[in-house]
Amino acid sequence: MRIKVDRTKCTGCRLCLQICAIENYGEINPKKAALRIEAKFPEPGQYRPFVCTQCGKCAEVCPENAITRNDVGAYIVDKSLCTNCGACVTVCPVGVVFQHPEINHVIICNFCMKCTELCSTGAIVKWDKAPASKGGTAAAEEV
Amino acid sequence: MGNGLAGTTLRINLKTSVVRRLPTDEALFRRWHGGRGITAKLIYDEVPREADPLGPENIFIMNAGVMSGAFIPAGSKVSFGSVSPLTNGHGDSNMGGHLGPALKFAGYDLVVFENIAPRPVYLVIDDERVELRDASKFWGMKSLECEKALKDELGEDFEVATIGPAGENGVLFSCITHDFGRQAGRTGQGAVMGSKRLKAICVRGSKSLRVHDLPELRKQVTEIMLRTRKHPNMEPWQKYGTAFFIRWSNDNAVLPTYNFQTTHYEDTDKIDGDQLVTKLLVTHKACFGCWMNCGKYTKAVVPGKPAVYLEGPEYETGALCGANLGMKDIHHVAYINWLLDNLGMDSMSGGGVVAFGMECYERGLITEADLEGHALRWGEVDDVEHFLDMIAHRRGIGDWFAGGTKRAAQKIGKGSEKFAMQVKGQEMSGYDGRWAPGMLLSYMTADIGAHHNRSWTITVDMAEGRERIAGRAKIVIYLQHIRPLFDTWCICRLFWGELDITPEEIVESLNHITGWGVGVDECLRTSEMIWNLNRCHYLERNRANGRTFDYPPARSWEDKIPSGPGKGKGLTREQIEEMLDDYYDERGWDRRGNPTRALLEDLGLGDAADNLEKIGLLGEPLPGGIPKVRGEKYKPKAF
Amino acid sequence: MVIYLKAGSELRLKLNPDVDFYTRRVETEEGKTLREILKDIRLAPAFVAFAYSEGRIFSLDRAPRDGQSITLQPPVSGG
Repeated sequence: MRIKVDRTKCTGCRLCLQICAIENYGEINPKKAALRIEAKFPEPGQYRPFVCTQCGKCAEVCPENAITRNDVGAYIVDKSLCTNCGACVTVCPVGVVFQHPEINHVIICNFCMKCTELCSTGAIVKWDKAPASKGGTAAAEEV
Repeated sequence: MGNGLAGTTLRINLKTSVVRRLPTDEALFRRWHGGRGITAKLIYDEVPREADPLGPENIFIMNAGVMSGAFIPAGSKVSFGSVSPLTNGHGDSNMGGHLGPALKFAGYDLVVFENIAPRPVYLVIDDERVELRDASKFWGMKSLECEKALKDELGEDFEVATIGPAGENGVLFSCITHDFGRQAGRTGQGAVMGSKRLKAICVRGSKSLRVHDLPELRKQVTEIMLRTRKHPNMEPWQKYGTAFFIRWSNDNAVLPTYNFQTTHYEDTDKIDGDQLVTKLLVTHKACFGCWMNCGKYTKAVVPGKPAVYLEGPEYETGALCGANLGMKDIHHVAYINWLLDNLGMDSMSGGGVVAFGMECYERGLITEADLEGHALRWGEVDDVEHFLDMIAHRRGIGDWFAGGTKRAAQKIGKGSEKFAMQVKGQEMSGYDGRWAPGMLLSYMTADIGAHHNRSWTITVDMAEGRERIAGRAKIVIYLQHIRPLFDTWCICRLFWGELDITPEEIVESLNHITGWGVGVDECLRTSEMIWNLNRCHYLERNRANGRTFDYPPARSWEDKIPSGPGKGKGLTREQIEEMLDDYYDERGWDRRGNPTRALLEDLGLGDAADNLEKIGLLGEPLPGGIPKVRGEKYKPKAF
Repeated sequence: MVIYLKAGSELRLKLNPDVDFYTRRVETEEGKTLREILKDIRLAPAFVAFAYSEGRIFSLDRAPRDGQSITLQPPVSGG
């Protein structure tokens, strides 16, 4: 299961970031979200959501083997093993592994899909029948 | 468990660069709710009555209330406030985008700027780090360019608010710009910021915002968002935003045309919302946490000029810079919108001021000799561009117009006051009130001058009879209490009216956030308290009976609508007096328009009554006492 | 023929929906314009900012077809 992105539909409201942190940390704090939106203004005037593509590079480089894949395809961080070294942050091709000063491990999307439920324009949608990722970048996932 | 407040208040002395961190006064927010309520209270208490709004004694306030940033529909606003240089009374203006939430996430509820910086500065807030930095390389830059430059320097994830040359130069209707197209436009907050030599405010925050009951808030707000997605208004709204109502305004004889000379514009089809969406749209754009995305980010191309990117024109700008200036091409309207945004002027007052200039030019009251050899003709975008540059830099008669239509008319004279379309110094919004008496009364009595956002009654006027005077006051008062509540909470108002989300639901969210346990009626009472304090403040600063200031320009009663479906319609001076009498009676003020002691004490404003009494402007006691309920909840009637 | 009109907010109260919260079923004659249909059901077209159907604006002067669903958008209360 993955998330499909249609960047032409994104309006930059960040509801996805809000609900992500609420679901996963019980807090209102978009900086604790596991996805990001790039805003290119004033030109060309474009929002672009970036979500995990399940490429697995984070797991490959993790020196503690703290990142493993679960049965829906998400890469899950074992909080007891993660040292927050940031190797995965640097290697993520779409920039969706995050660190936050209040959290002692990295933040990676667990595909809870709450973001897709609240997106009112269809910019990010649940993608049930997604092909297995072969390590592409976000651009390859876009509609 | 939290209460929607971030916890810290900043007091920044711009003269000494001393930044004081204080725990946020929760009781202050509990009583005044935030946003414009906080501004009302602080400027009333702290700014001397004789202080120049552009001088060191005025304070400049930024706050994001208790709801902005929380998980709440369109909880995106940030409110700016100070004594308005445009109206010389309470001034507040707010904008959406992402700045308000960023301020809360950085840990701050309220920032009060005092005094004047010795040289241009900008403020950077990055969580705990709060710094005033040298702005000499940004001073002189246009608003949108400055925002880009600051983002390039600090990082894209900083939320930036800037002023343009107009604000720097003290143009009294200057705005504050953010997010490449969101503006706090009204009451000249950009001029106050400029007078303090504060070029920009840049904020980034990474903290969590704590609320009273997040699980309940989440449940309620998720339900609202999913439910309203099926609302019939949702899809058209997301697609067209506010601009589509220009056609409707024209069809119903309220569209200001040629400086409010008439209400019917023959070229409406050329500037309407479908033109915007089909010819200009680049992307839909939403404020923080909003699922309605009314923002329309656009690109305008006028031959011989650089292509420009902007947000809008939304309804108000489309009306006031479109029909009101006689523009015949949506690209031209958008280009003027961009000019105003980038120079840092309110596109509503800006449209009003240019339209006033055009009518003066048409009547020969100003000439090419006054305009550096240029003309100022209806529908001519080049003329507008040159005129705006004169205003922004206060060159020649640009200096007169930089004070808004009221001050310009005082300079020009020759009867031009009649068609300076303003009240209390603030230019009218994009609706003509001659055949919508409630709307005219709304303009006349609004605390910040002729602004629609305090009360908008046109469909009520239509439903109850457009010539009807009786009963307008009660409705206007009710709306003047409920609509500004959104500006105290720092959330957007549009989802309330458009998506059937009730005030009760919104107050339920407020309680989930704050834990206050308040009801709608108590909130309305808070709003009434703010309204009356602002009235007292206005009287104390301007030292005359309130009624003196509540008249619209004489065009509102001397001229009937000359063309279109409203042809021949209009109001008489007697009807205007009747509406004012009725309004004061319903408010618990005397017929001179001064609040009475009984009313002020009922609202917990006894000190303000004492202050009015000292200067002889306290209302005379009303023979029958004050009305128990001020304003009547509007219930739509079948027709 | 039958068309379905939808409206929200204050306009909804004027439409008197009967199918669901927002929708009213209206029996009418083929060839009548939307404006005429609104007059027939005593809903003043002045209260409709614009009509919207199938992803686009639907002119009040057009005749709907049988079974068409049309949303009536009220004027915004200030931009």
